[in-house]
Amino acid sequence: MKKLYYDPKKCTACKTCEIVCAIGHSPSKDLYTAIVEDNVSLPSVRVYVGQEGNFPLACRHCKDHPCVNACIASALSYDTEKGLLFNKEKCVGCWMCVMACPYGAVRTDKRDNKSVRCDLCADINDPRCAKNCPTKAIVYVEEKK
Amino acid sequence: MKHLLIIGNSAAGISCAENIRKKDKEIKITILSKEDYTAYNRCLISYYLSGDVKEDKLIYRAKDFYKDNAIELLLNKKAIRIDAKKNQVVLEDKTRLDYDVLLVANGASPKFPEIKGIRKKGVLGFRTIADTKEMLDMSLVSPVACILGGGLIGLKAAYGLKKRNLDVKVIVKSPQVLSQILDKESSEMFQRRLIEHGIEILTGSDVQEVIGNGDCKAIKLDSGKVIATSLVVVGKGVTPNTDLIEESGISFDEGIKVDEYMKTNIPTIYAAGDIAQAYDAILEKASVNALWPNAVEQGMIAARNIMGENKKYAGSTGMNSVEFFGLPVISFGMTRPPHPGEDGYEEIVTRDKRNTIYKKIILKNNVIKGAIFVNKIENIGILLKLAKLKVDVSTIKDTLLRSDFNFSVTKDLHYEKEEFYL
Ligand SMILES: Cc1cc2nc3c(=O)[nH]c(=O)nc-3n(C[C@H](O)[C@H](O)[C@H](O)COP(=O)(O)OP(=O)(O)OC[C@H]3O[C@@H](n4cnc5c(N)ncnc54)[C@H](O)[C@@H]3O)c2cc1C
Repeated sequence: MKKLYYDPKKCTACKTCEIVCAIGHSPSKDLYTAIVEDNVSLPSVRVYVGQEGNFPLACRHCKDHPCVNACIASALSYDTEKGLLFNKEKCVGCWMCVMACPYGAVRTDKRDNKSVRCDLCADINDPRCAKNCPTKAIVYVEEKK
Repeated sequence: MKHLLIIGNSAAGISCAENIRKKDKEIKITILSKEDYTAYNRCLISYYLSGDVKEDKLIYRAKDFYKDNAIELLLNKKAIRIDAKKNQVVLEDKTRLDYDVLLVANGASPKFPEIKGIRKKGVLGFRTIADTKEMLDMSLVSPVACILGGGLIGLKAAYGLKKRNLDVKVIVKSPQVLSQILDKESSEMFQRRLIEHGIEILTGSDVQEVIGNGDCKAIKLDSGKVIATSLVVVGKGVTPNTDLIEESGISFDEGIKVDEYMKTNIPTIYAAGDIAQAYDAILEKASVNALWPNAVEQGMIAARNIMGENKKYAGSTGMNSVEFFGLPVISFGMTRPPHPGEDGYEEIVTRDKRNTIYKKIILKNNVIKGAIFVNKIENIGILLKLAKLKVDVSTIKDTLLRSDFNFSVTKDLHYEKEEFYL
């Protein structure tokens, strides 16, 4: 399975990844429309800016996926090919997954009480954050063993 | 062909069956449940009570799941005894079921206090869909509901019934609600929030008697005060269903004692979920941590060992995540250390100016032992992982409660984690 990897040294914290993620997951998928939509969509990748550098972070689709075991609403499942699958309709906003994620990679959307997480841009099968990163600080490649 | 019998059709039992079927299509699997439903999300019954989730959305493994996975499901069958000498389980209807391997995953039940009248009609536990349905029926005829206990389950019932427009009164023995999972300051934040939303909380009082002829009509408190109500919900914690195994020779303490392979003292019998007393990875002692994620994980570990993999369980943890009226909290591990300031214990705390956000971490000799995050819960999972693995956090201690704390802060700490930086 392919995974997202990050090179903090190359990250300039331009946040292009956050913007393309939010637009890509908005109903219109268009910047100028997306910013005036009712519920402006939240990016599931985030860049943390710190003294030691800039660190992009999104769901790892990890093999252990403790979030799946923790979900009390069976909204989460794991597929060895597609990674973590999220059935948003089932999510009740209990935040058990936030508690279980060892990377802090799950966000909470308080407006609709649903969790927000990376789906590797399953709609186009090519994560927009990596595709659009101007410095190639985010790459989408076969899993490193 | 080996026959695996699973008593319990919920988090632990289903997880065990599924993990077996991922690798083994041969072994015969039978699941037994005393309830009438295919597997459902037990934790969502409070959302069903409040009206946020419909009944049909509670089921998470429908009939076709059992068929597709060649699992025989026996519903409405109550096991009453385990005859370990004969490798048999005895049902209430006297049938005996043979097994080669047995998983005891029969969960827990609400603890009812031993007071006069407690078994009267209208006094309910809050554990099953059936309990919830009865509560919903009663909510139509009783304008008042009294909740005994200010723990998670009690407050979830209170919340659900308030949403159904009942006049809800919570009777709490301790000085605060949620005292098992929060500290004083955070529990006061919740108490205020609940009161603001019209839930009455009577702390420092206990119920003495349930009054009525057959049906509950009122409750009497130890103060002498009498409250008229036909609906009482008992939320005083749960107790593992050990009655089933009392004479089986399976050793138990609070719950069934299991080793790190989820095996009991009897080699052909495993236990998992709320019935099991496993090792607590943070408190470092045997404990029953009756929680959904622990049940799922334990079911998985049992499955792998039933298949002969020798897979060790890293241990369970006490951890809770809830939200009432828009105020979320996550806490885990030790939230009230035995001797703050002594024996290497240390507490670090932060709050915002308006006192809407509260975060606390408890450390012992620089290892995280517990945490409480109110109203800003993201990233607490990182701390939970560090706690479970007993990582020394002295080098990053001052960053843990900073608003910009994130996973990258831990990058120089050596512990098992996914590699994701190039
Ligand atoms: C209202 C509520 C809210 C909760 N919220 C949360 C939450 O937010 N987070 C969390 O982590 N946990 C929560 N929990 C706890 C969680 O539901 C349990 O930890 C979990 O269900 C345990 O799973 P289990 O498989 O061990 O047993 P159970 O879910 O208790 O299931 C036991 C199974 O065994 C069967 N059974 C029992 N006795 C017999 C018998 N004698 N013969 C045959 N079958 C039998 C039952 O029918 C059932 O199928 C909540 C619980 C409740 C009630």
